Amino acid sequence: MLNAAKFIFQTEIVLLWRRSQEWLYPLAFFCIIICLFPLAFTPDPAFLQKYMPGCIWIAALLASLLAIENIFFTEWEEGYLEQLLLSQIPLSLLMFIKLSAQWIVTQLPLIMLTPLLGFLFHLPLSATLALCASLLLGTPILTLTGSLCAALTLGLRQQGVLLGLLVFPLITPVLIFGVSIVQQSQAGLSIGGPLAFLSGLMILAMMLLPWTIAAMLRAAIDE
Amino acid sequence: MNKKSAHLHVNNLTCKRGAQILFSDLSFELKDSEMLLIEGANGSGKSSLLRLLTGLASACAGVIKWQGREIQMIRDEYTSALHYLGHTNGMRSGLTIEENLQLSSHLSLSASIVINDTLKSLQLDQHKNTYIKHLSAGQKRRAALAKIFLLPKKIWILDEPLTALDASAQTFFLAALEQHLQNGGMAIISSHHPLTFQHAAIKHLRLASC
Repeated sequence: MLNAAKFIFQTEIVLLWRRSQEWLYPLAFFCIIICLFPLAFTPDPAFLQKYMPGCIWIAALLASLLAIENIFFTEWEEGYLEQLLLSQIPLSLLMFIKLSAQWIVTQLPLIMLTPLLGFLFHLPLSATLALCASLLLGTPILTLTGSLCAALTLGLRQQGVLLGLLVFPLITPVLIFGVSIVQQSQAGLSIGGPLAFLSGLMILAMMLLPWTIAAMLRAAIDE
Repeated sequence: MNKKSAHLHVNNLTCKRGAQILFSDLSFELKDSEMLLIEGANGSGKSSLLRLLTGLASACAGVIKWQGREIQMIRDEYTSALHYLGHTNGMRSGLTIEENLQLSSHLSLSASIVINDTLKSLQLDQHKNTYIKHLSAGQKRRAALAKIFLLPKKIWILDEPLTALDASAQTFFLAALEQHLQNGGMAIISSHHPLTFQHAAIKHLRLASC
């Protein structure tokens, strides 16, 4: 089972890497959205220091939605999803593997790019680190919640719009605590509280959502 | 393959699409070495019936029993005994044939498989490292059949397996199917082609068009 899980994980990574649009588009989208904020408001460093972390969070949110939109669609069309349902490995484990690969390929590059963005927008080092930590804990929740909603809306037309309407209300706590980690760090306060809360949310999501997603997919296929 | 005698029992199965009843009160039995050929016009519910039999879809009414127990209760045991090939081939277009076959063997937790001989007999050995998306419809179908030949399982549930295959591939598939039945396997197949075997019995099921 472990051997099979390892092979499936590698396959997922290889596939995502080959379909470069899967990770390149969200990454480019993330950068462009962030560059628009100083243009729309003001390039004043004091303003940027204060508001850029929130803008980066919003951009990460939008980019994660872009990355998650078609997560099950190709496999559903190819009939591979049915083969997954009939496989000898629990579907929830398969989903956990798939979503881990998805997170590594689509979200991790955003987080690695964040220090550069922090430097560009005059964020102090401590705030940049806090921002990276908040994204590191928050983005897995975005991937998990996004794919839950993608499983719910599988096969519907205009899926993207509906996905946004479903996902954004659900992940408001992540946004609130993610941004407050950076704000508290900038105000010189301890970031332990929101950091612990966000970690708790992430662990909860990792424990529960793979099962929920598996159940949703079974229901989506059974129609 | 499991040597114990196996038994699939379908009782009073009813399936609806929307408000329309596709078929109702369908009952049949299938034992070792038997094959069920499902015939019927387009839209008569052949694919829906096959999906019900895999357990992927659930019926409006009726029960499907494997070894005397309902398949929804023993899902793992039942799916470990069956191959399903739908209209879509279930192969990932971004992977090569070899990668797809390895993935399938890992998904069914089988020991490592030797794919070369089977690919050769399906005339796919040249394309072992070709992406599925670069293959023709017939080649994709053959690659999907290769998976079924490589991983021995008791029941084959195949939806129009002969579609897009050329004459030589059809002959090869039918020979493999007959061999499977002689070895005690079962098959449930929907097809528009008439099938005849010398050494295996075929049960027919005709779905009325609606």
